[in-house]
Amino acid sequence: MSFRFIHSSDLHIGRRFANIPEAADGNIRGRLMEARHGALSRLAQAARDHGAAHVLLAGDTFDTATPSPGVIRHALATMGEDPAITWWILPGNHDNLRDAEPLWDTIRADAPANIRAVTIAAPLKMDETAVLLPCPVAFRASASDPTEPLATLPSGDGQLRIALAHGGVTDFTESGAAIAPDRDRSARLDYLALGDWHGRRAISDRVHYSGTPEQDRFKHGARGVCLAVAIDAPGATPRIEEVETGQFHWDTRAVPLTSGQDAAEALAAVLPGAARRDILLRIEASGWAGLPARAALQEAAARAAPDFAHFELLTAQLGTLYDTTDLDDIDTGGALRIAAETLLNDAESDDLSQDDRQVAGDALARLYAYVRGGME
Amino acid sequence: MKIRSITLTNVRRFTDSARISGISDGLNLLCEPNEHGKSTLFDAIQALFFIPHGSRKKEVTSLQPHAGGAPEVSMEVDTPDGLFRLSKRWLKKPAATVHRGTGLVAQSDAAEAWIADLLGRDSGGPSGLIWVRQGLTGLLEATEAERKLSLDARRDLMSSVGHEVEAMTGGRRMDAALRQCREELAALATGTGRPKVGGPWKTAQDEVERLEAERETLAATARDLQEALTARARARRELAEWEDPDAVASRQTALEAARSAHAAAQRHAETIDSQARTVDLARLKAQAAQARLAELNAARDEQTAARQELSAADTKARTALHARTEAQAARDTAQARLDQAEANAAKAEALRNAAQQAQAARDGADRRTDLTHRIVQAEEARRAMETAAAGRIGPDAASLRRIDTLAGALATARAARDATVTQVVAHYTPGREGTIRAGGAALPDGHPVPLPRVMRLDLDGIGQLEVCPGDTVHDDSSVDAADRALRAALTDAGVADVDGARTAAATRAKAEQAHDQAKAVLNSLAPDGIEVLRSTLARIPVLDSQDEAPDPAAAETALAKARTLRDTARAARDSAAERLADARDMATRAEAARDALADRLRRADETLAAFGSATLDSLAIETAQSAAALAEAETAHATLTRDAPDLASTGAALTRAESVQQRAQDEIAGLRPLLARLDERITRSFGDAVEERLAETEQELAAARAALSRVLHEVAVLQRLEQALDAARSQARDRYFAPIVQELKPLLRLLWPEADLTWGEESLLPEVLIREGREEPIDILSGGTQEQVALLVRLAFARMLARSGRAAPVILDDALVFSDDDRIERMFDALHRQAGDLQIIVLSCRQRAFRSLGGTALRLLHMAPETTG
Repeated sequence: MSFRFIHSSDLHIGRRFANIPEAADGNIRGRLMEARHGALSRLAQAARDHGAAHVLLAGDTFDTATPSPGVIRHALATMGEDPAITWWILPGNHDNLRDAEPLWDTIRADAPANIRAVTIAAPLKMDETAVLLPCPVAFRASASDPTEPLATLPSGDGQLRIALAHGGVTDFTESGAAIAPDRDRSARLDYLALGDWHGRRAISDRVHYSGTPEQDRFKHGARGVCLAVAIDAPGATPRIEEVETGQFHWDTRAVPLTSGQDAAEALAAVLPGAARRDILLRIEASGWAGLPARAALQEAAARAAPDFAHFELLTAQLGTLYDTTDLDDIDTGGALRIAAETLLNDAESDDLSQDDRQVAGDALARLYAYVRGGME
Repeated sequence: MKIRSITLTNVRRFTDSARISGISDGLNLLCEPNEHGKSTLFDAIQALFFIPHGSRKKEVTSLQPHAGGAPEVSMEVDTPDGLFRLSKRWLKKPAATVHRGTGLVAQSDAAEAWIADLLGRDSGGPSGLIWVRQGLTGLLEATEAERKLSLDARRDLMSSVGHEVEAMTGGRRMDAALRQCREELAALATGTGRPKVGGPWKTAQDEVERLEAERETLAATARDLQEALTARARARRELAEWEDPDAVASRQTALEAARSAHAAAQRHAETIDSQARTVDLARLKAQAAQARLAELNAARDEQTAARQELSAADTKARTALHARTEAQAARDTAQARLDQAEANAAKAEALRNAAQQAQAARDGADRRTDLTHRIVQAEEARRAMETAAAGRIGPDAASLRRIDTLAGALATARAARDATVTQVVAHYTPGREGTIRAGGAALPDGHPVPLPRVMRLDLDGIGQLEVCPGDTVHDDSSVDAADRALRAALTDAGVADVDGARTAAATRAKAEQAHDQAKAVLNSLAPDGIEVLRSTLARIPVLDSQDEAPDPAAAETALAKARTLRDTARAARDSAAERLADARDMATRAEAARDALADRLRRADETLAAFGSATLDSLAIETAQSAAALAEAETAHATLTRDAPDLASTGAALTRAESVQQRAQDEIAGLRPLLARLDERITRSFGDAVEERLAETEQELAAARAALSRVLHEVAVLQRLEQALDAARSQARDRYFAPIVQELKPLLRLLWPEADLTWGEESLLPEVLIREGREEPIDILSGGTQEQVALLVRLAFARMLARSGRAAPVILDDALVFSDDDRIERMFDALHRQAGDLQIIVLSCRQRAFRSLGGTALRLLHMAPETTG
């Protein structure tokens, strides 16, 4: 009979997404917030689906040290719905012990019995076969390795040593946090459940980042997951299964353009077809485009944008090609042509700052749009 | 397009129909006095062209006659496509129609569209007609709306004059681009490039500022919260430490131990105190015993000594008493001797004095005689002096000299008179001398006697002979005066005549001499006065008695001897007295010493008596016993002291234990309310979800900054574009204005040879008139000149319109009101020149001035009401 549990982290419940622009008739921020809360139910469901009686949350369950009371109560109520599942909640850097002391006080005082706030670095009995070795985060930023005490934390003979920690691993971040990647060996761990990294990441057979169950940024390119872990016996390699729990997909798509390419068509080719409402899409246009292509790209983007939960078109990497025919479109001569050529010279001048060139280039594009708009 | 006829029905004063027909190409003039409806005609044409037939606006109702009714205007126009009749009727049964001949070309909205097209569809302005209103002097129209419309029309006209110019300036596309650019920019920025209030730029800026402020506030609150959390953790830890049961128990145990140790120490200290008192008592006893023994010994010694000394002192006192008695006797003897010697000396001195007195009296007897004599002589001299002084009367030498002088003068005066007066000379018969008398005196013999006045001569015995001197003139006054002076002097001197005077004077001199002599005698006898002599005399002693005076020398010798004897006796007496005083002192002292010793002995006896039965031996035993008791007590005290605990240490230990306990209570008492306050603060901040809001605000701030940055970029782009377009158009401007300048130039030259105009880029109107090199802004020119420029500019625009194939009538309503006749003539020339290819309709009330304009004369004809149809 193997020991089964769900490993998740970085729920960041209560995150408000004020950086996401909201249309006048939209509610994207509310939906994103709700999705974070909804991750709790999906984690509980994953536990039931995989026969796990435990959910390990490796830090940053709450987005800030002082979540609003409603956020806390709703989260606790949701977790308390299924008494068969025990939630082990570890303080992370966002909800660290010091800053979020009232939060942990509240959880200890008000939480249903199946919620365990692991705020002390001491072994906790999960059941007869497994002991939990937690490494709670005491401060928002700490230069030391929070998993260091693990080596000295005792456990009974034949018990699984399952550790829970929050922070970066030495070999892939320069942030100052420093969890030794071989901690599983040095502390004789059967499994080290890590949080902090929002993407799914396996460090070794026994050391894993589950990533957040609900993504909150354009970075990791996939919906959030949790890990369903099964360990057959002490020393056995854990069996890991990724379970998709994310509702929203923060999707970044590249649109590399070349001269003469139909920009609108290129954009259409990369747009996802289904579930657009739950997709936050970032289009990163790159390469080169003429003035008409740029205008076409903008128009196509503007047409597609309302389908999505959020849509942004980044053209910082897209260079503009100025064709004489484009200038002819503005005017073949006269004052308009003079103006267009002045702007073009500025946009391509080596004597001007990048900003001034950008301004001149955009001014030319704008003139193009005016004149074209006037003709249509 | 050319207008051929105009018909008004029910328009203001034209309650029936009025019509102008026969309007020709070129110049037309409708010259009517005021109030004949020229302005009505003007307004009616405008209404027909620009006011939709469905309108009920003020412009329409203002066309209604007082009596009411539906205004109706129709017009025949000649176009390249033929002759059309346009009609409009407003308010009641409103209608618009366009007929060609009898055929209806369009009606209602179609007719409106047809008319608009005729006027130049795409401009929307009155480009089809060039209007000059009554009294209009400036180039600018009255209202803002008109001005804008007119500007658009001019721009439209100039931009469409020719394809090349259009291409050059960008034409309407340029205008549209620039307008769009400026509109977009205007939504963001003010004219001076500042964020526009209410615009996205300002909004984004404000939002960033607001969020920054909010973030600061929230960050401060979050810091507060964190500080409170830190403080609470510390307070909790401290409280737990203070309240730890082990610590509490250990503090209590320590306190109790300290208390009991201190109490024991205090008890021990009391025992030591008690023992110390025992020691003191024993010491007192030992000392007392020792002292008593010593006292007994001393008393015995004293008794012995006092007895011996008393005996010696008694002997000494007796000897002294004897010596005193002897000294007393010696002194008494010496005193008696002295008294005798003194009496002898006094007697000798009296004798000596008497001898001296007698000798002095003897020595002064001769002087007394001499002085007495001198005094007598002196008193005689003084009496002589006084007698002489009494005889010192009569004239003195000076008075006498004066009397002599006066007597001389009288004689002289008489002589002088006698020389001139009658003189008688008696020549006596001898013997008869003196028988002739004059006034008692006999006439001298042989001497002439003057007769100054009638003089009766007594002729002795004969009678009297009166001699009269006659009437001769002579003067007696000087004789009288001299006589008077002499008599006065004599009277003064107290004498009767000159001789008397001489005698008196001699007597006086003699008296004076006697006086002086007496005085000299007195002075020699008593130079200091007689009284001095008398007092000197009184001082000379007088020998009183006739006793025999002793010898002064012997008396002196006797006196000296007596004195020597007296002095010797006195010295002896003094010496004896001294010895007596010494002996008396000695005796007194000896007696006192003896008495003192007697006392001393008595006291020693008493002391010894006080010891009663005590003996030296019994007292020595007592002393040894008390000393042993003292030694024993001292040993016991030393032992106790050596074993005593330090009371100060146990006291300090107890104080410390108590202060520890007190501090613990204070700390606990302070920490509990502090914790309560911190709990309250934390709960409040926590309930406010500070960090959640802070995180949200930071996200919003980042988004707002991005938005602001986009807006700033947008502003920069639009400003750059506007600047580029402006610059480009400015480049093309000169060429842009070329056509109108070309049209205007010949017209301007009619009025002002060599004149020129510069053009405003924005207004598309002339700004400055240049005449003979002087630049004059249009708006400072005289009314007439402005009016003329305005008219010429309009004619030029009309010409351009015609060139562009859209010829339009020029309608002048009472123009040129400010122009003088000479200028009007030249303006007429201009009008005629333009009228070559333009239709110009001039409405004027100045019949005389416009008589010479020429052109086709028009008449406004009233007609019977037409049947509509």
